[in-house]
Amino acid sequence: MDGQFRSLIFQTFGEVFETMFFTFLEPVDEVPGPEALVCDDTYIRADIVYQGPQSGRFTIYLPKRLARNVTMNFLGADEADISDEQMLDTAKEATNMAVGSLLGKIDPAGESKLNIPEATILDQFSGAEIASEPGAFLFDTDFGRLWVVFS
Amino acid sequence: MAFNILVADDSATMRAVIKKTVEMAGVPVGSFFEAAHGKEALEILENDWIDVILSDINMPVMGGMELLREVAGNDDFRRIPLIFITTESSEARMDEARRLGAAGYVRKPFQPESIKKILYEVLEKAYQHKVEAPSQPAAVSEDDMDF
Repeated sequence: MDGQFRSLIFQTFGEVFETMFFTFLEPVDEVPGPEALVCDDTYIRADIVYQGPQSGRFTIYLPKRLARNVTMNFLGADEADISDEQMLDTAKEATNMAVGSLLGKIDPAGESKLNIPEATILDQFSGAEIASEPGAFLFDTDFGRLWVVFS
Repeated sequence: MAFNILVADDSATMRAVIKKTVEMAGVPVGSFFEAAHGKEALEILENDWIDVILSDINMPVMGGMELLREVAGNDDFRRIPLIFITTESSEARMDEARRLGAAGYVRKPFQPESIKKILYEVLEKAYQHKVEAPSQPAAVSEDDMDF
């Protein structure tokens, strides 16, 4: 994966989370070792596939604490009013917006088409496993670590 | 004049955000209608008077482009301006939307100001009527202003 594409992913996800969710993503260039990736928060996974001359899948993994915060910011709602369903919906929308925005940059002719995003709350999550995937990108936030995996 | 606004988006959260954005923009709203996809939007159009449609493109069941074709091809609906609010960012797709008769589009992620600007422009053009924002939008609380 070339450095330009890597920078584009960091930049695009950062812009979307800042513009729509008022949340700052700090790209992590050097992924820490497995012992530093242990996390006790439940994670949400959101997926979106795009198809066309270029096809691929983006998966984001975000801790519920982060999902709750971005949903609060998105809706302008109080923490107590945020449901799991709203967090899943926001995770899907964030993925949709970030990958849609990225596609606009890598496929300006618009030949690739985004599918409908999906999201689920995970029973188990291992940051170390995600880190071993070749298309994994890591961001630090004030509310836990966000992973983006391109495959 | 108050406007009946229909928002079509498969994300309930995004519909709520758009509704709040429209309220904050001070657009005089009569009723606000919501649809999760194009087919639901058409059902609402059959039953209620709508002044403007704000629609996503990428939706299940019936997407925004198909909704636009249905609206443009219907004698009763083609008067209704349709604005896309979408992640679609290719110029080719937006050119197609314009050819089909879309009144405008806003790309997600969006700033609330961009929705306000296009909504006022489209409503004033469609209804030949200066849209006046109330000096104190009643539905907006101080918390909302953080958005």
